[in-house]
Amino acid sequence: MRARAADRIDGTRGSLRKAAALPRPRPRATLAAAAAALLVLAVACGETARRDEAVRDDVRAAMAAFPTSLSLIGKTDTNSEIIARLVTDSLVQYDATLAPRPRLAESWDLAADGREVTFHLRKGVLWHDGTEVTASDVVFTVRKVREPATEARSAIGQFESVESIEAPDPATVRVRFKEPCADPLDPFTLPIVPEHVAGKDPDILTGRFAEHPVGCGPFRFVRAVPGREIVLEANPAYWDGAPSLRRITFTVLPDERTAYGALLRGDLDLLGVTPDVFRDAATNPQAARLRRFHYFMMSTWYVGWNGDGSNPFFTDPSVRRAIVLALDRPAFIGAVLGGLARPAVGTYHPDSAWANRSLEPWAYDPAEAARLLDAAGWRMRPGGTRARDGVPFSFTLTVPAGSQEITDRIAAWFQESVRKIGVEVSIEKLEWRTFLDRRRAGKFDAVMARLNLSPSPDQFELYHSSSRGRGMNFMGLADAETDRLLEEGRRTVDPAARRKIYDRLQVRLHELEPLSCLFGFAAPVLVDRRLEGVEPSPLGLWTVLPGPRAWRWRR
Amino acid sequence: MVRAIARRLATGAVTLLLVTAIVFALAAMSTGSSLPGESVEDTSPLTPEQRAEIRALYHFDEPLHVRYGMWLQDLLRGDLGRSFHDRRPVAAKIAERLPATLALNAAALLLMILVSVPLGALAASSPGSLLDRAAGSATYALYSIPVFWAALLLQLAFAIRLGWLPLYGTQTSGMEAAPLVARLHDRLAHFVLPTVCLAYPGFAYLSRFVRGILVDNAAAESARAARARGLAPSAVVIRHGFRQAAVPLLTLAGFLLPRLVGGSVIVETIFAIPGLGHLFVGAMFQRDIPVVMGLTLLSGAATLGGVVAADLLYAVADPRVRRA
Repeated sequence: MRARAADRIDGTRGSLRKAAALPRPRPRATLAAAAAALLVLAVACGETARRDEAVRDDVRAAMAAFPTSLSLIGKTDTNSEIIARLVTDSLVQYDATLAPRPRLAESWDLAADGREVTFHLRKGVLWHDGTEVTASDVVFTVRKVREPATEARSAIGQFESVESIEAPDPATVRVRFKEPCADPLDPFTLPIVPEHVAGKDPDILTGRFAEHPVGCGPFRFVRAVPGREIVLEANPAYWDGAPSLRRITFTVLPDERTAYGALLRGDLDLLGVTPDVFRDAATNPQAARLRRFHYFMMSTWYVGWNGDGSNPFFTDPSVRRAIVLALDRPAFIGAVLGGLARPAVGTYHPDSAWANRSLEPWAYDPAEAARLLDAAGWRMRPGGTRARDGVPFSFTLTVPAGSQEITDRIAAWFQESVRKIGVEVSIEKLEWRTFLDRRRAGKFDAVMARLNLSPSPDQFELYHSSSRGRGMNFMGLADAETDRLLEEGRRTVDPAARRKIYDRLQVRLHELEPLSCLFGFAAPVLVDRRLEGVEPSPLGLWTVLPGPRAWRWRR
Repeated sequence: MVRAIARRLATGAVTLLLVTAIVFALAAMSTGSSLPGESVEDTSPLTPEQRAEIRALYHFDEPLHVRYGMWLQDLLRGDLGRSFHDRRPVAAKIAERLPATLALNAAALLLMILVSVPLGALAASSPGSLLDRAAGSATYALYSIPVFWAALLLQLAFAIRLGWLPLYGTQTSGMEAAPLVARLHDRLAHFVLPTVCLAYPGFAYLSRFVRGILVDNAAAESARAARARGLAPSAVVIRHGFRQAAVPLLTLAGFLLPRLVGGSVIVETIFAIPGLGHLFVGAMFQRDIPVVMGLTLLSGAATLGGVVAADLLYAVADPRVRRA
């Protein structure tokens, strides 16, 4: 292709040279005209005057993706949940300490057998259309969520243990569980939807309700343009007092750099950003109006060891611990993560009331790591690698491939760290859904990814031996002591006794290390200094109590 | 002629059918396609019963050829099915994104032609000259600049530092009530940067193509005859050259036409324009087969349309084709 073009140039040069004496079109004039036209276009299209910033009562925020569903309960992803929690309320909701607080439920009674909870609803709470919220709305919502077709992914599992739910009167909801329930309140952080509106749609995901959701929360749904924006406005009749913000606009900005640019321009008031952008904002003069802070997310960066016996390494807890001891996490956090992470100790969020604060993350100790490996029979060979009975200690770390560059950095650091204690790691990157398929099937040596944490102390799905092969227990953990504690935790109603059980469980898990939690990541936030009340919480800025209900512009 | 066109359409339809079958099979057999919507969040797994119910909802347990048959049947009824991702009708999802993509691509194509054709003609009027070489080097240099980088620089300069142009989107929120002129103005301003980003990599290709044809034609017998008759060389290149170049240019136009419905993920993402490119890549990642199929059908039909349109226009441009 290119050779032929070159031929053309050579082959024609002669004939046109002869004609060169005649006047040519004037390229300079043409170019100048084109440039002038572009300039005129650019200036003519210049924006109309910037928005008057003097009196503000609205907030403009960004979302990386449009919510999957606006049905408030179906197909819930993070962005759908943000909208749901602003538009409607739940019976209870967590505050920044992860303690459940009364919302639509004014109070509740727990039965002595741990199998029943009775909620007493707040009276006089109105849906945005003026109808009163009743117990039958709650019953309807739970029924809808339990229908698989609603695809309420994060909630459906939580209601698996509910035997019955009924509304004996309009202000009372009685829930009976199949067996004693460790945390009967957690499922009822579910956003409630109005039966008289949502119940009219045969399919809640695609009906009129999902196009224009109605709730009873602090903000009313105004409009949504799919893929572009969502607009909410204050609900003046909100039972807990109308919010100070009159309007919230979410613009869909998939590119983080564009979103940061929009923030610098003043098109946005706050933004969750990447560590790189966060660092830039510290010195960028255009970012001077922004306050920087971070919160620690409800997630942990983990390595899951396949302990089902399919590999010779990770059935032994001391080997799992040895690998973790070889990791100098504080150094990595300082050098690479810019301080925006902290070593994690387990799958209980450190800010949660349930976290056992006597536990510390395993400290960097390569000598102890080597000792543990020696004791387990993995001896150093010449050449600096370990082996047992001729089998080299060499395993594959499977990670999700994606846009997250951080995965690569952590995987490389992990590989390098354990190489120093004589263990070889090869890294395998899989596309996210393929990664999940493989993890579910148990076809891996070790996996590394981010795991969302739950505020609930009951981590049955993750660690109980009965969850192997179907639940989240992809590590194949089968430990009698862990099983016993998880079951006891569910049966025990007395708060002090339960606390002890879950403290013990965390100690046990820390010894066993079936799932090594390496880091808790900070989510950096940039927010206009004049917007007050935006505070860190493990649940982020939007879905926690009080959240945007308490935001206000400084006068 | 009519028969030829009909034959072309028929073979095109068969090709399109084959393409949809292959894409369906590839999408359905790709790994990680266990369940629609699953794995967005890494919590609360479903019980086997719940999984089974959702699989049934999306006909996941039927064999591949049966599912393809169902898709075809729905298609014949004019139904593109529903997205696995949010269960909305595929046709509606495409329809709400098509206008932005069409407008943006049309603008980019227009800009490409407005810049490349004169540039190619200029270069062809004096091949090998400084101007020719400068135009070649400049357009190739542009071609080598990654779009995401160019987009960032343009945004930084025109939207963030100078503030002349909007940073993202296709219109300012809340402009619906503004007068028509202001709205049009707003729309145009939003289109400048993404249009430039979509168009500039094509300058090299199109201008060199135009230049190549014109230079070829200038060397042809007829052009020599024209010069012998005393025509100015620029007139030879422009008037004669372009008439001679009609057929190859139409072929090119036929190939460029499908680009109108193809989206650029990078430009759409950076400028936050919800278009078809973004939809397609998202659908691929989510294993959203109905959306993938809908878009495949659309781009296939556009390709077919482009080829047939080019064929028809040949007949207009070249009487010999008409007689054939």
